[in-house]
Amino acid sequence: MADELLADETCRVFSKLSQPQEPGVQRFIVGEDRSPRLMTTAEIAQDLSDPFAALLLLNGVFPSTAQELLDALDAATGEGDRLREQRSFMLGEGSQLPVREVDTDSTNRGLRFLIARGGGNDGPDLIISASHPFEGLVELMAWDMVHQGFNFYRTLGDGGRWVWAGNSRHALQQPTRGKGPFESHPSGNLIMKELKFPWVHWHSFKVHISAAVFEEADVPREHQWFLDKSGAETCETDVVMPSIVRWTNVRFERVLSGAVTIDPVLLIEHVVTCPTVNLASSGTESAAAKLGSSIDLPPGFFVDADAMEAVGLPEPPAFAVPGEMYASSLETFGFHMTDGSFSQPGDTHFAFVVPERAFEDIEVLRQAIARGVISPRLAAALLMVDFPNPVFSRKRAKLLASVPSVPASDPDGLSEAIAASILAASEESPDGTPERDFAARWNLGDDGWRESFSLELNDYYTAVESRLGSQQGFNDFVRLAESRRHHVRDLPIFESRLLFPETNLDRQDLVMSPNGTVTEAAG
Amino acid sequence: MSLTMFQPPGNLAEMSADSRTSWDARVRDLFDVSAQMFLSFYNPVGVDVEQRSHRITWPAAPGRLLSTRMSAEQRWAIADADRNEQDEYCEWSLARDNDGKIQRVTFTSEVPDYFDHLLHADEALLLELYGQMSGRVVPIDALRAHGGNVFVGASEFNSSTDGPIVHLSQRNNNLRAAITLTAEATILREIDGQLLSHPQTLVLCGRLGDERRHSDPQIGAAVNGLVAAGADVSLADPPGLYLDGIVTGGLETPDGTDPQEFWHVERGDADHVVRAVFEVPGELGYKVGDITIAGRPINFGAQLAERVHVRVEALSKKSFSAPMDPLPCVA
Repeated sequence: MADELLADETCRVFSKLSQPQEPGVQRFIVGEDRSPRLMTTAEIAQDLSDPFAALLLLNGVFPSTAQELLDALDAATGEGDRLREQRSFMLGEGSQLPVREVDTDSTNRGLRFLIARGGGNDGPDLIISASHPFEGLVELMAWDMVHQGFNFYRTLGDGGRWVWAGNSRHALQQPTRGKGPFESHPSGNLIMKELKFPWVHWHSFKVHISAAVFEEADVPREHQWFLDKSGAETCETDVVMPSIVRWTNVRFERVLSGAVTIDPVLLIEHVVTCPTVNLASSGTESAAAKLGSSIDLPPGFFVDADAMEAVGLPEPPAFAVPGEMYASSLETFGFHMTDGSFSQPGDTHFAFVVPERAFEDIEVLRQAIARGVISPRLAAALLMVDFPNPVFSRKRAKLLASVPSVPASDPDGLSEAIAASILAASEESPDGTPERDFAARWNLGDDGWRESFSLELNDYYTAVESRLGSQQGFNDFVRLAESRRHHVRDLPIFESRLLFPETNLDRQDLVMSPNGTVTEAAG
Repeated sequence: MSLTMFQPPGNLAEMSADSRTSWDARVRDLFDVSAQMFLSFYNPVGVDVEQRSHRITWPAAPGRLLSTRMSAEQRWAIADADRNEQDEYCEWSLARDNDGKIQRVTFTSEVPDYFDHLLHADEALLLELYGQMSGRVVPIDALRAHGGNVFVGASEFNSSTDGPIVHLSQRNNNLRAAITLTAEATILREIDGQLLSHPQTLVLCGRLGDERRHSDPQIGAAVNGLVAAGADVSLADPPGLYLDGIVTGGLETPDGTDPQEFWHVERGDADHVVRAVFEVPGELGYKVGDITIAGRPINFGAQLAERVHVRVEALSKKSFSAPMDPLPCVA
């Protein structure tokens, strides 16, 4: 069994574990541990300093269900304790499918709740994910007040068996990087894929998840989590963004205090690659297109809009297409929602869901610049390489190989050192390579880059706008969107086919060009 | 106990008994007119069967601007610069210091209908309130037109975005519009035999306002959903639009003070807030503009408006009428 566990270093390994014999908390940090082992009280006290560990685990309280956990927290805290402050949120890839429209035995709509407890303006201390208050898997992230970062826990079977799967810091260091829970939480952050307006798949003020998603007898239907749920808009601003900022602050404070060295690769990875993505969509309901509403398109599809703003480069104008044009593309490409057993024609509730750069990468970029770790010029020169492809750019990712792997002790001169390393690589690279592209951009100098990049971006925005003027042009963007969705289907965050619409398009690796045309990726 | 008369918005207690009586009559008229036109809408005065209340909330920052997908700074600047853009039943005005840094943001959801009523019922109170909230002596002629009968809601004393603000002034931000929208939203709609339930689609089909606003689709879908479930619908007393607090997660203050402490209710009772101010107390030595959200200083009132929630409270009771057939979209 241990060998089998060692072979699987993904987050799926936890579902292969057999239920421990007794209640308690097992330590199983994939990459470090060969197999789970029961933690002693002394180990819990030493390694875990979050409220779950301090108030419950250390006192021998091992709740079996999510509600039992919340009740135990209430019992362990006094009147007015911030850990008693609860907010619940709800989501589900099939959350707009009422029970009357699907066979719930064969179609998993992914209905689940997020419960946040405690916390001030820097986010909650405990975040629980569960689909049912009294049964099933419970996943928990708890902020560690001593070691900082989130501790990742989950239940193993029932009866109060828990596993501690690591801390946010394990996401950033070997041998645990990218393994276990850090496969889908690559930076050790809380993940809310659909982070921004209109929060497709979530209950929000834009669209409710109604009681019709439950059978009359379903327990969650009358449970406080459902009845008192808040909208995703609050989850974004009050839970997820502050949590990501909180962990990113810790990362930079450790670096700048000299507690740890700067790993240039780890840092630049956030700029040139996409360890994970967020999902953006139109703010318009897909069905509204038939009634004449135009469809606004998410700017992050066309360019890394948030990153461009962070480096002071022009963001795109508002891109939109007439409803008829969008509706025609649904017809042409056979858009439908399916999980294999259930199928209905059309797009997701909100139109045009596509991946964009994750907020956690933007926050690292923003803080890196604000704290003087990298210069806006370096960030801009990196981001402008293959800028029409804000996610999954192989060209931009290739630059990472030229970033020096030697840790730096302080940020002074770091940007120049990184640039010099890529410039050196460019000298041995043929024309048209990303290293050459970067070199040309870097060599514009401190005074020239902003104006030059702005002109280039504005030309691109004009080209996109022009292509959106024709059905053919828009259809190309629809094909590109589907190509990018295919990339997401390969990521661990893809847990349900209902996350995206499906089409009659074959899988293709498509890229956008600076002139607004869509072509097959080279090589 | 059944409702015997409508209270003023926010349960404000400043009107005389006579003025309260005439306010009640005015609001009853609004409800009665809509109830006569829409079978599933009712006037809650005198209703003695069980009713449930339903809080419907949305953010105060304009959804129309958000849906254009212009950059955040662009939409914040537009929203801050023109009260006519602030069309979510909440408006705000800024006070900046000499360096342009925000000192205070005042939010209001007070309906102009109330002040219109005062023009006719209690002119002295109207001028007193205008004086208090604008900080200026306001001549009565500035608030009336057409020989004194028509109230001017967007006068120079209440149209500024960086000065005094008294009450809502955008043309759609009023109690009459909210009651009418609620009543019109009771009509069920269908397309090709499919009952509509999604917010924007309902607004477009039923012509319930602007599908890109936050408020119209939100109110429309919630009310329509109640009717579809077999209820008649109204608005809870006191009818009005209310500020439902501010979300401060992610706001960083220079000294770590909880920014919730900077939200001060100025008018309305605790559960029916119609005017609130976000301002740092002088003794703390910094200003609103020194607070950051995800590292970005607060340079616009709209940054806060995105975190302020507005609320209307619907009422429902079991319908004893035969269920209505859904209608096709308004041509």
